[in-house]
Amino acid sequence: MTAPVLEASFALNVALLLMLVVLAAAVVWTRSLLAAILLMSVYSLVSATWLMVMDAPDVAFTEAVVGAGISTIVALGAILLTRGEAVRVSWKRQVVPGLLAGLVGGLLIYAMSGLPDFGDPASPANSHVGRAYLETAKRDIGAPNVVTAVLGSYRGFDTLGETVVILAACIGVALMLGFGPRATLAPPAGAPGDHHVVLRVTAKMLVPLIILFALYVQFHGDLGAGGGFQAGVIAAVAIILHALVFGLRETTAAIPPQAARAVAALGVVVYAGVGIVCIVNGGGFLDYDHLLTPQIEAMIPAGLLGDPDKPHHWGQYFGILAIELGVLMTVSATMITIFYGFAGRTIDAIAAELRR
Amino acid sequence: MLIVAGVAGLIVAMSLMIVRAVLGPSHYDRILAANSFGTKTVLLIALMGYLFGRPAFLDIALVYALINFVTTIALMKFFRYRSLARPLAVAGGEDGADG
Repeated sequence: MTAPVLEASFALNVALLLMLVVLAAAVVWTRSLLAAILLMSVYSLVSATWLMVMDAPDVAFTEAVVGAGISTIVALGAILLTRGEAVRVSWKRQVVPGLLAGLVGGLLIYAMSGLPDFGDPASPANSHVGRAYLETAKRDIGAPNVVTAVLGSYRGFDTLGETVVILAACIGVALMLGFGPRATLAPPAGAPGDHHVVLRVTAKMLVPLIILFALYVQFHGDLGAGGGFQAGVIAAVAIILHALVFGLRETTAAIPPQAARAVAALGVVVYAGVGIVCIVNGGGFLDYDHLLTPQIEAMIPAGLLGDPDKPHHWGQYFGILAIELGVLMTVSATMITIFYGFAGRTIDAIAAELRR
Repeated sequence: MLIVAGVAGLIVAMSLMIVRAVLGPSHYDRILAANSFGTKTVLLIALMGYLFGRPAFLDIALVYALINFVTTIALMKFFRYRSLARPLAVAGGEDGADG
């Protein structure tokens, strides 16, 4: 980058980090949980913008869709089930935790002095394994986006673990809140004047567009920022928009909670199944070079994509495509199940449960 | 140069939004601040994509615009109905025939 651009990005860094500090302090300070949720959503917008300044669009994507989108909605569902104010704690009970937090914070600031400079080419992260990935990804995997190559292929086993963690989160939330609506969800008599025609028409047009965008993010992950995680959350946001506008009863009629949780588990099966196919074909677990047998690979016309003279990595290509599909299924179904759990458990349902 | 001025202007506007979001006083001020902060973020990311020569940043700006819309609907629904589950219009009602 040229010098003026570097200066501009330095000034942006300072401005955005100052905003983060102010917002974090305000979140700690405020007593109202609703204000805290709003401030947290602004916080994650700022931190995602800051990640863009750091030139990490894949991470910024995830922060944007998860931090600013899903978690705000889920937190709103959570304070509907609890109370809106934080409990006031006497200062005497805050002394020891405060000292501990201060001590850990001080240690972290002290440890910061030992970190390498930002973008230092000689730092361990840039000089050993990171550099090796950058040099070999194009030759080994063939995916232009190195992040996808590392996430899907080099570290495919880690990503499988992350997908299983998401499924575990789905099961955990569902065991606490129920897999789906507990209440009958019969719509109450509408108050006069509540037409919301504009909102309904807009939502009806936006839901397919958001899903289309999710598919773009899914299949564009090889080339640019994006992939299964981000696409899964975006697809779930489309379903949540439908539930918000047309009601949870309509949405659960279209996508039953049983289907959502089955898809969440099926995604992990797809991901692990790709690995097992690789073993059956004589490679290691998730070794995509062995995904396609030579007979199948010979059937693919060489000129289908790009330069026919260059070596193709069809195994890697289809392997990453298949595992990203598994990730998409697990992530979107998990987000939908969590939303069903929070939104379907209304106050009435809890009161009825307590009376039993 | 114009781009840098635009980015600086957006940063100033975002700082003002943060002041409103932190000070309140009512929740509606905060919602309005958070919503327009999201819009400013979309613009800032689009400008940054131009400034750093990364047109792919526009994808992320698009996601922000979509997410911001859905979050705002969830917030307004929270205030109006205290429920995320109920429909916004009653099916079979006078305006529910097409819904």
